[in-house]
Amino acid sequence: MNRKILAVFLRDMRVSTRDFVALYIIVFPVLFSIAINLFVPGINDSTVNIAMLEGDNPEHVGYFRDYAVVELFETADDVRRRVEKRDNIIGILPGSKDYYIFAQGNEPEGLVDYVKTLRAYEFFGVTAEDTRVEFSDFGNTIPPIKKLMVNVAIMLSSVLGGMLIALNIVEEKVDNTISAVNVTPLSRGGYILGKSIIGILVPVVGTITMLVLTGFSNVNMFQMLMMLLATSIISILVGFIEGINNSDVMEAAGNIKILFLPLMGSVAGAELLSDKWQKFFYPIPFYWTYKANDMILSRSGTWGKISLYTAFVVAISAVVFAIIAPKIRKGLEH
Amino acid sequence: MISVKNLYHSYSNDEKYAVKDVSFEITEGEVFGFLGPSGAGKSTTQGILTGLLQLQKGDVTVAGYDIKHIKNEMFNKIGMSFEQSNVYSKMTGKENLEFYRKLFDVKTRDPQELLELVGLGDKGDIKAGEYSKGMKHRLTFARSMINNPTLWFLDEPTTGLDPSIASEIKSIIKEKNREGVTIFLTTHNMFIADELCDRVGFIVDGEIKLIDSPKNLKLQYGEKFVDVEYVDGKEAKKESLSFMEKEDIGRLKEILDSYEIRTMHTKEATLEEIFIKVTGRELV
Ligand SMILES: Nc1ncnc2c1ncn2[C@@H]1O[C@H](COP(=O)(O)OP(=O)(O)OP(=O)(O)O)[C@@H](O)[C@H]1O
Ligand SMILES: [Mg+2]
Repeated sequence: MNRKILAVFLRDMRVSTRDFVALYIIVFPVLFSIAINLFVPGINDSTVNIAMLEGDNPEHVGYFRDYAVVELFETADDVRRRVEKRDNIIGILPGSKDYYIFAQGNEPEGLVDYVKTLRAYEFFGVTAEDTRVEFSDFGNTIPPIKKLMVNVAIMLSSVLGGMLIALNIVEEKVDNTISAVNVTPLSRGGYILGKSIIGILVPVVGTITMLVLTGFSNVNMFQMLMMLLATSIISILVGFIEGINNSDVMEAAGNIKILFLPLMGSVAGAELLSDKWQKFFYPIPFYWTYKANDMILSRSGTWGKISLYTAFVVAISAVVFAIIAPKIRKGLEH
Repeated sequence: MISVKNLYHSYSNDEKYAVKDVSFEITEGEVFGFLGPSGAGKSTTQGILTGLLQLQKGDVTVAGYDIKHIKNEMFNKIGMSFEQSNVYSKMTGKENLEFYRKLFDVKTRDPQELLELVGLGDKGDIKAGEYSKGMKHRLTFARSMINNPTLWFLDEPTTGLDPSIASEIKSIIKEKNREGVTIFLTTHNMFIADELCDRVGFIVDGEIKLIDSPKNLKLQYGEKFVDVEYVDGKEAKKESLSFMEKEDIGRLKEILDSYEIRTMHTKEATLEEIFIKVTGRELV
């Protein structure tokens, strides 16, 4: 990296650690991870949910109780209805010869595999003492609420990266230092690049920290980073424009919040609304990011799908870029 | 070093020019004073020369570079001390300089040495936000020297400084000039201009009225003045009268006849008086 660009980034970083708001943004991922670990059961608490019949063989039910949360229902239809609800729960019902496992279809593959494996072990009489395999390694035992929160937090960290950029630009404006930088050999482009780094690096480091601390370290980090970089484009652009348009730190921070609405809206839309409403969220980059992150966190994201979603986010960001890039250049002239 | 031909600039992109048909040349090693009242267009001209403002109309070369197609490397040769001090208030004086020096491709000066030069040697570890106005101004001034510029733009370098520090700044400027640095000095302080400049240009309402050396100007416009101090009743009074104006001579005779004279000195016209005479404007 160019020495001058690096100098701009390091300056921003140094000053940011001296500012309360900026410092809070930087340590946010750690605080968030602690909070999420406190309030949402961790990865090692088995939260595989299985629906079974009340009248089933108690020994059979007991075996699954050891490795999963078992809910009992009176009839096979009740079990079926339960499985069809949104959350991830697998049904196990007695069939004519063997038990059969059934799922709704939207459960993570790993979860189904985990239950299948459990059933196989039960059949062969394997218990946890007989094997060195950790059961929790098999399936995706992460509760959906945790996945959702980590997903939102990752997107949030990218928006907060944009906020850091805005804070640093506002600082330069208040101190009137942009003109001093403009009479050095550092090019305008180099300056903008240097100012952008903090908006990429802080979310990247924050996200990795968060994934590790909340037990998602086994996800595909490359997919995650690709998605994060794509999402950061929009945050960076908004960060610059808000920095340029505001002359007060708190004002700028407040205005960045306009990104929270499409962000949370996309999450709510993707999670709660039926298929016919989904298309209304297509123009929102956060919608694609959320869906992609969800797959990555469930470890079910194929490169094809993730690349496609990344392309959507980049394409939408490119449109935004074309609109506001000239304003950013102009705004940094003095 | 600097060549400006028929320069125009309008902030509103219309016929309302802040700078109108300005032309001048500055040779290497020269100290050129750009003098004019507030709003005359001094900072605007300087802004164009340093690339901070877009060149709209006219031909400008600075340090061998055509300002129409400005090259970033040009700034390695240029230093700019701003009228309004502009330093990072969340960083210390030393950090400010350490950061700034990294933006240049040429050999830069040691921050501590620069701080000492402007009397901030023991203030390097204090945040610039806690500096007084004059200290910030000195830091801005020191920063403009960090890349050893061969062309140095100074916008009101001594304004707002107490006299002893102002005189130190003046001697730094003189010293730099002796080393061969070309200096473009913008000010409305005529004493500083008189003391430092090889040539001065008077600008009023965006137009250059005259360019010459202070010495020539004094020869040309330098009618003799007499300062006379006398006692009128119990009151001491002072008047400045010209030997060249009939009215003034009559008044002088009157004073000599009617009052007790305390002191009487002849003196040369100051640059300020010449400015007023040439432009018909006060230097406010
Ligand atoms: N950013 C701006 N936008 C619009 N008009 C401006 C701007 N800056 C300066 N002007 C106008 O241009 C004219 C020249 O201003 P300039 O700042 O060049 O004067 P100056 O000679 O440097 O004055 P001073 O001694 O007060 O610094 C003034 O009429 C001023 O109002
Ligand atoms: Mg000015």
